[in-house]
Amino acid sequence: MRVLLILTVVVTGLILIYGTQDMPDWGDPNSPPSTHVSPRYLEKTLAETATPNAVTSVLADYRGYDTLGETTVIFTAGVSCILILRTRKKQKKVDQNSNPDKT
Amino acid sequence: MFDFIVSKYNYWIYITLMMIGFYAMIGKKNLVKKVIGMNIFQTAIILFFISTASKRSATLPIIEHSHGHEEHVIEAASYLNPLPHVLMLTAIVVMVSTLGVALAILIKIYRRYNTLEEDEILQLKK
Amino acid sequence: MIAPFDIVILLLVLICAIAAISVKDLLSAVIILGAYSFLMCLLWSEMGAVDVAFTEASVSAGIGTVLLIAAVSKTKRRSKD
Repeated sequence: MRVLLILTVVVTGLILIYGTQDMPDWGDPNSPPSTHVSPRYLEKTLAETATPNAVTSVLADYRGYDTLGETTVIFTAGVSCILILRTRKKQKKVDQNSNPDKT
Repeated sequence: MFDFIVSKYNYWIYITLMMIGFYAMIGKKNLVKKVIGMNIFQTAIILFFISTASKRSATLPIIEHSHGHEEHVIEAASYLNPLPHVLMLTAIVVMVSTLGVALAILIKIYRRYNTLEEDEILQLKK
Repeated sequence: MIAPFDIVILLLVLICAIAAISVKDLLSAVIILGAYSFLMCLLWSEMGAVDVAFTEASVSAGIGTVLLIAAVSKTKRRSKD
């Protein structure tokens, strides 16, 4: 079982390492993620949003709906944490109330 | 060959890191260890995305001398790519949310079965 | 991008990751994970992603470690593997 486990991990890693030979070099200025849309963000950020920090202008201005969705995720996580940890207490209360009735 | 290693070694280290997390997720019996493995896995993926943003001889994505000189031309090649930074900023927050929910479920499991080992929980369920 | 600094921090991160999943005491594992998060933060500030670095330092190394310590203190500290 342990041999199978290590084999699974090593084979997955080797497949991923085989996939890296088509990746762009580290620090290549002409790599696909750096040429498509991000030069436009960098060139227009001062004119359109008056924010020198490009990360802030993309986060809050160009991709504001993304941040709104992130807030929804945090809200859902908080509500689900409260719901998961709260149900047990209700059952205890029901048990305490129902035990004197039975006896 | 040396150039190939220099330009790709960081990807290999990220994959090693990711496989350490993967091993902890599928191989360890303790549930807290599984959560720690999930954290390592997610961090490795975020590290990979951040590394795609780096450019040689480029500086931080904050426009220099921006106040007062608003007419000057901005060269995109001299600043880092801001887009992966933004996306991974979101991913870090989502990572902590999943960590919180996972730990809440874990505390619930401990209250019910009084153990955190996977094999003992499976025996108790029978 | 400073290559020697990068290699040293990546090796430290790997050591921290292996230590975090192989230590039997869960509280030690959580503290090592906190050190791992701070090394990751150093790595990102070295790559130029300063916003991501301080978010990581405050959110993942701060709140994440606190949440994990709270969970370990509410449950068992010993682990079998």
